[in-house]
Amino acid sequence: MKLTDVAKVIRSKNAGPLQITIDLMFEDRERYDTAAGSQSLSPASLAQLYGLRQDKVRVIPFPQALAIKLVFDRNIVAGDPGDKDVYGTQQHRLLLGVEL
Amino acid sequence: MSAVGKLRDRLGGDVTGKPLKALAASGQLGYGLPEAALQEGLAREPDFIGCDMGSVDPGPYYLGAGEMATAPAMTEHDLREVLQGARRLDVPLLIGTAGTAGARPHLDKTLAMVRKIAKEDGLKFRLASIAADIPKDMVKQAARDGRMTKLGEMDVPDDAAVDATAHLVGQMGTEAFKRALDAEADVIIAGRACDTAVFSSVPHMLGYPMGPAMHMAKIIECTSISCTPGGRDAMLGTLEGESFVLESMNPDRHATPLSVAAHGLYEQADPFTVREPEGALHLNEIELEAIDHHRVRGRGARWETAAQLSVKLEGSTYVGERGILVAGACDPNFIAALDDITPALEQTVRDLLGDTVSPDFQLSFRVYGRDGVSLWPTPPTHPPHEVFIMGECIAATAAETKAILTTCKQYFLHYGFPGRLSTAGNLAFPFTPPEILTGPAYRFSVYHVMQVDELASLFPVTVEEI
Repeated sequence: MKLTDVAKVIRSKNAGPLQITIDLMFEDRERYDTAAGSQSLSPASLAQLYGLRQDKVRVIPFPQALAIKLVFDRNIVAGDPGDKDVYGTQQHRLLLGVEL
Repeated sequence: MSAVGKLRDRLGGDVTGKPLKALAASGQLGYGLPEAALQEGLAREPDFIGCDMGSVDPGPYYLGAGEMATAPAMTEHDLREVLQGARRLDVPLLIGTAGTAGARPHLDKTLAMVRKIAKEDGLKFRLASIAADIPKDMVKQAARDGRMTKLGEMDVPDDAAVDATAHLVGQMGTEAFKRALDAEADVIIAGRACDTAVFSSVPHMLGYPMGPAMHMAKIIECTSISCTPGGRDAMLGTLEGESFVLESMNPDRHATPLSVAAHGLYEQADPFTVREPEGALHLNEIELEAIDHHRVRGRGARWETAAQLSVKLEGSTYVGERGILVAGACDPNFIAALDDITPALEQTVRDLLGDTVSPDFQLSFRVYGRDGVSLWPTPPTHPPHEVFIMGECIAATAAETKAILTTCKQYFLHYGFPGRLSTAGNLAFPFTPPEILTGPAYRFSVYHVMQVDELASLFPVTVEEI
């Protein structure tokens, strides 16, 4: 099963200019549990997927909102010369291929 | 009597059983206000009106250049709407992060618009402005004293880095707005401010519990984004004491327990804690319940006063004059060779221009259709049929940027590479000239938390009668 089969929202945005946060949101508890329990969304797996050091990745389950928050340190400060995405809204794509 | 005075008369003292209605008119004043929802919000006779007018999101340019991201005519239109609404109801109007980035030039431009509107429309009120520019010497001293906390990879700035900032602001909190309210201001225009402070300072002044007040402020500052479907329509928050009620002023946008809980994630690295200059808001034990299909009641947030006051700083530094080169290509051999071509092209450009330009210019290329968007390496896919190439140059002067991009354009167009069949030109220009100057470029050079002993001197309040 892919993440896109169970997630209702997969969105990315800066949380300040030094971090990007990706919110994964789900319709119901069952879908949330499927994703929250998957090794594919562990810090180690996500670090590998994005080519980041594991200490640059945080995974914060937020069951109250049926959501999982991912926080990555940006590899370039938002708006610095060479940045590609000032608002950080298009950094979720790699997650679209994730198998749970 | 001032609008604040009337509010104190009505709701001051024991606030038990006295609901306080806050109208969030806009989360981005200056991009246009959905009119029907604003009018519905005003018809509910809110006790005060708040607007957020800026953010760090649009990047370092606006803070550095002292410019607004919003168009002047639209900004003035939005300001007029909320000024007229607040004066008609005679309730306080609070606006945070004036003019996109909230430094002195942004505050001054916003104040000039407010005075112009008041004059044209014959409005009379007491105006308070709160500056958010932080003295550079204070920041340098804090760095030396180890009182600057990193928020990520960015190093604590040294003296030279602090001196180099074009503008350096701090995010003011509830304390600053409260001083302006205490000065009996009818309209408060603040420089860089915490979004929450715009909506939590009136409840704080009146003695409402800070946990629910701050939680409500955190949700309504984005207006109806916390609803489903989300939108920019005005939002009404009614603080009941230990609980609050959320209601969009657009009947088609519904606050639901899930939509409001999900909004707690928005643009926040930590969904459980919101840090403010004066303390922290803890959201671990919040409860959200549906009143009906449209409204939500929230409770349970806990406010913890900080043992150590602190201010989040934002600084932006000029890096040069930016220009871009726009071109497309569809030749598969050229697209495949691009990563070899661009470094060699840059060297050719540097050699040709020699000492006619300052050599510390930056020249880079983004290849859209391939990897122009992703910040982290993405696995290769099939070669794209077409790519858009954007060259970017940042040099010491606009004339040098233009010279570099013009030379680059010509040699890029005719660059010879192994396997080349299209010997008449490599690039499709959508128009000419394809090299475009975009103006001064900036970067964030300060994004840190500074510990402070007191807040009042950092965010001075100035009062004037309009």
